[in-house]
Amino acid sequence: MTSPQTDLTAATAGGAGADDTAEAPAATQAAGAVQAGAGGTWQALRRDVGAMLGLGYIVLVTLVAIFAPVLTSISGWTPYEFDQTAIDPNLGGMPIGPWGGMGAEHWLGVEPGSGRDIFARIVYGARVSMSIALSATLLTTVLGVSLGLLAGYFGGRVDLVVSRVMDFLMAFPALIFMIAVLSALPASNRSTLLVVVISVFGWPYLARVVRGQTMSLAQREFVEAARAAGASGARIVFREILPNLRSTIIVMSTLAVPGFIGTEAGLSFLGVGVVPPAPSWGQMIAASVKWYAVDPAYFLVPGMCLFLLVLAFTVLGDRLRAVVDAQEGR
Amino acid sequence: MPRFLLTRVSSGLMVLLLVCLFTYLVFFALSPDPAVQICGKNCTPELIDQIRGNLGLDQPFWTQFFLFVVGIFAGRTYGDGAGAVECAAPCLGYSFQSSQAVWDMIVQRLPVSATVAIGAAVLWLLAGLVGGLLSAVKEGTFLDRFTTGLTLTSMSIPNYVLALVLQYVLVVQLQWLPFPQAVRFADDPVQWFLNFVMPWMVLAIGYAAAYTRLTRANVLDVLRENYVRTAYAKGLPQSLVWRRHALRPALTPIVTIFGMDFAGLLGGALITETVFGINGVGKMAADSIARNDQPVIMGVTLLAGFLVVVGNMVVDVVYTAIDPRVRVNA
Amino acid sequence: MKLHRITTAVIAAATTLALAACGGGAQDDSSGGGGFTAEPAEGGTVHVLQNADFSYLDPARGWDGGVNNFYRLVYRQLTTSAPGSAEDPNEIVPDLAESLGEVSDDGLTWTYTLKDGLTFENGDPITSAEVKFGISRAWDPQIGIGSPYLKQVVDAPEDYQGPYETGDLPTIETPDDKTIVFHLKEPFPEFDAVVSQVNATPFPEGTGEGDEFIHEIIASGPYKLAEYVPGSTIKLERNESWDPATDEVRAAKPDGWEFTIGLDPATIDERLIAGQGADVNAIAGTVQPATLPRLQTPQLQERILELPGICTTYMSLNTTKQHLDDVRVRQAISYAIDRNAIVNASGGTQLGEPSTTILPSTVAGHKDFDLYPSQDGSGDVAAAQQLLDEAGLSDGFTMTLDIRSQESMQAQGEAVQQALERIGITVELNLIDTSTYYETIGTPSQQNDAAITGWCPDWASSAATFIPPLFDGRNIYEKGNANLAQINDPEINARIDEIKAMADIDAANEQWGDLDEQILEQAPIVPLMVAKTVSLPGENVTGLFSSANAATGGIDYVGVGLKDPEKG
Repeated sequence: MTSPQTDLTAATAGGAGADDTAEAPAATQAAGAVQAGAGGTWQALRRDVGAMLGLGYIVLVTLVAIFAPVLTSISGWTPYEFDQTAIDPNLGGMPIGPWGGMGAEHWLGVEPGSGRDIFARIVYGARVSMSIALSATLLTTVLGVSLGLLAGYFGGRVDLVVSRVMDFLMAFPALIFMIAVLSALPASNRSTLLVVVISVFGWPYLARVVRGQTMSLAQREFVEAARAAGASGARIVFREILPNLRSTIIVMSTLAVPGFIGTEAGLSFLGVGVVPPAPSWGQMIAASVKWYAVDPAYFLVPGMCLFLLVLAFTVLGDRLRAVVDAQEGR
Repeated sequence: MPRFLLTRVSSGLMVLLLVCLFTYLVFFALSPDPAVQICGKNCTPELIDQIRGNLGLDQPFWTQFFLFVVGIFAGRTYGDGAGAVECAAPCLGYSFQSSQAVWDMIVQRLPVSATVAIGAAVLWLLAGLVGGLLSAVKEGTFLDRFTTGLTLTSMSIPNYVLALVLQYVLVVQLQWLPFPQAVRFADDPVQWFLNFVMPWMVLAIGYAAAYTRLTRANVLDVLRENYVRTAYAKGLPQSLVWRRHALRPALTPIVTIFGMDFAGLLGGALITETVFGINGVGKMAADSIARNDQPVIMGVTLLAGFLVVVGNMVVDVVYTAIDPRVRVNA
Repeated sequence: MKLHRITTAVIAAATTLALAACGGGAQDDSSGGGGFTAEPAEGGTVHVLQNADFSYLDPARGWDGGVNNFYRLVYRQLTTSAPGSAEDPNEIVPDLAESLGEVSDDGLTWTYTLKDGLTFENGDPITSAEVKFGISRAWDPQIGIGSPYLKQVVDAPEDYQGPYETGDLPTIETPDDKTIVFHLKEPFPEFDAVVSQVNATPFPEGTGEGDEFIHEIIASGPYKLAEYVPGSTIKLERNESWDPATDEVRAAKPDGWEFTIGLDPATIDERLIAGQGADVNAIAGTVQPATLPRLQTPQLQERILELPGICTTYMSLNTTKQHLDDVRVRQAISYAIDRNAIVNASGGTQLGEPSTTILPSTVAGHKDFDLYPSQDGSGDVAAAQQLLDEAGLSDGFTMTLDIRSQESMQAQGEAVQQALERIGITVELNLIDTSTYYETIGTPSQQNDAAITGWCPDWASSAATFIPPLFDGRNIYEKGNANLAQINDPEINARIDEIKAMADIDAANEQWGDLDEQILEQAPIVPLMVAKTVSLPGENVTGLFSSANAATGGIDYVGVGLKDPEKG
C-alpha cells in the first residue's frame, strides 16, 4: 500500500500551513467548542479582513459574470465586435492611444489586431473561468466525497479498488495527459470536456482525506451507537458521518478552486482551452503575453483579474481552514 | 522489509501497467489513423496497408498492446524480411514525425530536464525550509505575516506569467541574464548557470511557497507537542530542544512530499520548458502533442508515470528508515 | 501537390517559419539600407534562430520552405534556382550539370552532362550513377515522401519501389560517368525545374536506406554536418571537398552555420532587437506583430528587411454544400468579406496585404483585378445582401468554417465571422488540431462548408503549380485533395489543358492571369491576403537576398555572410 503520509501531497497542492497564529494558544482550551457549527465559523471568518476581501472579490466576479449582458449593453460593445478604428494597421494592429486604448469608448482598452473591447471580453471571460472552475469543483467534490466515504466506511474490497484507482490517477502525469486528450478530441464541446478532464484527475486528493476521516469516524462511539440501533449503512454514512466531514469538505473544495482556475487558464494558455471566439481569462493572457512589452495594459488587465481571483480563493480557503482547525481544537 | 518492498514494487508495477493501458486505450480510441499520418501525401491504399502491417496496426487492440508492453522489456521487431527494423529494449516505438526511436529522444533530452528539475528542487528546498523555519521561529511577527502573504501571492501567480515578467525585467530591461540557451556545463559553467537561473526560479517558486507553509505549520505543530513542552519544562536551552526534539519530526513529512513532488516534475516542467524554449522532455511532449506524434506522447507519459511510481516507492523506503513509528505498520 | 509544402512549413512553424516560408520575391525589394546586400567577407559563423525543427535532413523526405533552403547549403542537384542575388532569382540554372537539359524533339527525353571535379564530402566522385541512385530514392514508398514531381513526370515501371526494394531504375540511363538520360511519361517543358527539386540530390550508391539519413548528411554542397541535436541545434562546417570552381550558385562565404531550433518566437525577436553577442550574426524569419511597434526607433528601422509574399491565403467555399452550391451566395460572401479586418488580425499592413486575386503579384502571370470591389476594402454589404436576396436567403444561414487551432488563423476566422454576420450568415468556427488540419480538409468526406488555408507555387516562374491543382475538377481526390472548393467546371478544365500545352511560357502566363479572373467569377474561393515578411537580421549579417524558389520567398542562405567575421 501507499505510504501513510502521502495524504500531505493534497495539502501541498492547496497550501498546507494553517495560518492559525492568533488562535493557536487558545485552541486547546477551546476543544469544547467543536460543535460551534457554521454560525461560529462565519462569526470568526467575518472578523478576518483578508478572508472578507477575498470573499468580496469572489462575489464581485460572480455578479459581473451573471450580469455580463447588462454590463456590456451599458459599455456599448459586445465581446465579439471588431473595431478597426481603435487599432493601427501599420503597427501590427496595436491599439491606438495610451494604456492599450483605454478611454471613454473602450473602458479597459482593446485587443490588438481586432480592436475587440477588453472590458466586454473580461466580463464574459469571467463567465467561462468561473463556470468551469466551479463546475469542476462541484464534480470533484461529489466524486471525491462519495468515493472517499465508500472506501472509508465499507473498507475491504471497495476500499482496495478505490484506493488503487486513486493511486493510479495520482501517479498519472495529469497535465501532459490533459493536453493530449484535449488536443485529440474534437473541439466542439471544450468547456464540458475541460470540466470532466480536470475533475477526473482532481477528485483523489479530496477522496483521500475523506476516506481517512471516515475511517476514524466509523470507529467513534456515536457511529457504533447508530449501528447498534440498527441504522442502515447508507443512513449512517449520510446522517452520522457526512455532517462531521462538512468543514473538511468546505475547506478542501475552497482550496481546490484556485487550482482549477489556474488549470483552465493554463490549458487555454497552451491552446487547448475554450474555443474561440469565446473569451476566457487564460486565453486572453495567452494572447497578450506577446504584447506585454508594447501593450502592458492588455497583459495586466486579465493577468490581474486572474491573479486576484486565484489569490482570493486561496486566502479565503486558507482562513477558513484556520478557523475550522481552531474550532476543532487541533 | 523484503516482503514490504515486494508488495510495493508489485503494486507500483500494476499502477504503471494501468497507466500504460489507459494511455494506449485513449490514443487508440481517439486518434486519427497513424498510418495515414505517416503515409503523408503521396499515399496509396497499399502503402497504408504496408505501414499498418509494419507497425502492427492491423492487429487487434490487445495484441497491439501486448506487443507494446513486451517491446518495453524485451525489444521488438517492426515489419519482416529485408525491411525489418530492430528496436532494442526498452522499445517505446518510433516518432511518427522524425522517425527517431522514442527512447533515444528521451535519453537525449533527459539531462536537460534533470538539470532544470534538480536546480529548481535545490532552490525550493532551501527557500522553503529557511522561510518556513524563520517564519515559525518569528511566529506572529511582521516577518511571519510578510512571509505568509508572500507565499500566498507566489502560489497565485501562473508560472507562465511569471516567466515572461522575469524575462522582460532581468533579460530585456536590466540585461543581467542572457536569453536562456542550451549551454552545456562542460563548455562554460558560468554561462550554464546564468542560463538556467530563470527556469529554476520559475519552476521553484510555487513549490517554495508551499514548502514554506508546510515547514512552518509542521514546526509549529511539533512545538505544541507535549514532549517538546516537557523538554522546555526540564529547562533545556531552546537551541537544544529544537535540534534534538523539534526539527526531526517536523521535517520528516517534508521528505515524503519532496520525493513525490520531485518525481512529478517531469509533467510540471512542461510549461517552464516550453516558455523558455528549453529542449527538455517536457517541451518535447508539448511539441509532440501539437504534432499528434503518439509514440512520443506515450513514451513521455509512461516515463512520467514511472518516475512518480518509483518516487513513491523510494519515499516509502526512506520514510521507513527515518521514521521508526512506521516500521510497525509495515 | 503543393499542399504538403505549406503543410509541413506551417505545422512545424505555426509562427515564425510559416510566414518566412511564404516570404518575398524579387531581390530589388530587399533594400532598406545598403547594409543587406553588401558583399560578405570570408569566414565566421552565421546563426539562424528558429522556432520549428526541420522536417527531415533527408531531401527525399523533406520538402518545405524552411528545409529546402537548408538543403541548399549541404546538397546539390543537376539544376537549381539561381542565387537570390541574380537578376532573375526565379530562373533555373545548371548546378551539377554543365548546362540545362537537352530535350529530344518529341519532348520525352532529357539529357544532362555532369561537370568535372564533383565530389561528396569524403572525396568520392559524384558520377551519373550517384545522381541516378539519389533520384531513384524518390520512388521508395517509405522514403520518397517529399516532392512528387519526379514520380509524376519521369517514366518508371509501374511496380518500381526505389533502389532498396526493387533495385535499378531502368528508365534513367547512365551511358557514361558524366551523362544521365531521363525518359518522361509525357512532354514536360519545365523539366529543368523538376530536377532542381530537393529530392534529386545525389547519394553514394547503397547509402540512405531506412533511417540512415535521419541523423546523417552526406554532403555534396559547401557545408557538411558537424553536430546535430534534434529539436535543438544543427551545426554545419565547411566541406573541404567541395570545389567552388564547380559551383556558380553558392557563394558560401561563412566558415560555418549554426541553427538554433525550438526558440519561442517572442524570444527570437527579443534577441534580435537586443543584438547581444553572437546575435549580431543571426537571422530569423518574420517578426511577431507585437514586435512591430518596438521597431519604430530609427536605429531599428534601419535594420528592417521587408520581403514580399508569394503565398495566397484564401477561404475555400465548398461548392457541393447546400447554399454554397449557389454561385450568388458565393459571390455575396466574396462581397461581404472584410479584408482590412483580416489583414489587421494577421498582424496589420506590414505583415500582409489584401489580395483580390488567386495569383500573388510576385508569381508570374499575376493579373490585377477586383471582381467584388468595395469602397475602402472592407466589403460591400449592400451588394452582398442583394445577391443573398436574389438567392432567396435574405435571412441568412449558418455555415461551418474549418480553421487550424493556431492563433493567427483563429484571428482570421473570427474576422470572417464578424464580416459575414453583417449579411446574416452565422459562421461557426470548427477548430482542427494543427497536425491533422490539412489531412482533414483534404478529405472531402470530412470537409465542412468552408476552410481557411494557403497556397504557394513550387516554382515561381509560372502559374502551372498554382491554378491547376486548386481548380482542375479532375483533381478532386478522396484523400489529399487540394481542390477544396470541389469545383468541376468543364470550361475551366478545358482552359487549364489549353494553357498547359502552350510552349511559350510567357504567353501561357498571361493566359493564367485571365483564367484567374474567369475562375473567380464563380467565386469558388475568396482570396484573402498575401502574407509579407518583416525580418530583423543581425547588424553584422549581409548578402541577404530573397528567393521565391530556393527559400519560398525567404532569404536565400547561399549568399548570406558576415560583414566582419571577427565580430560576435
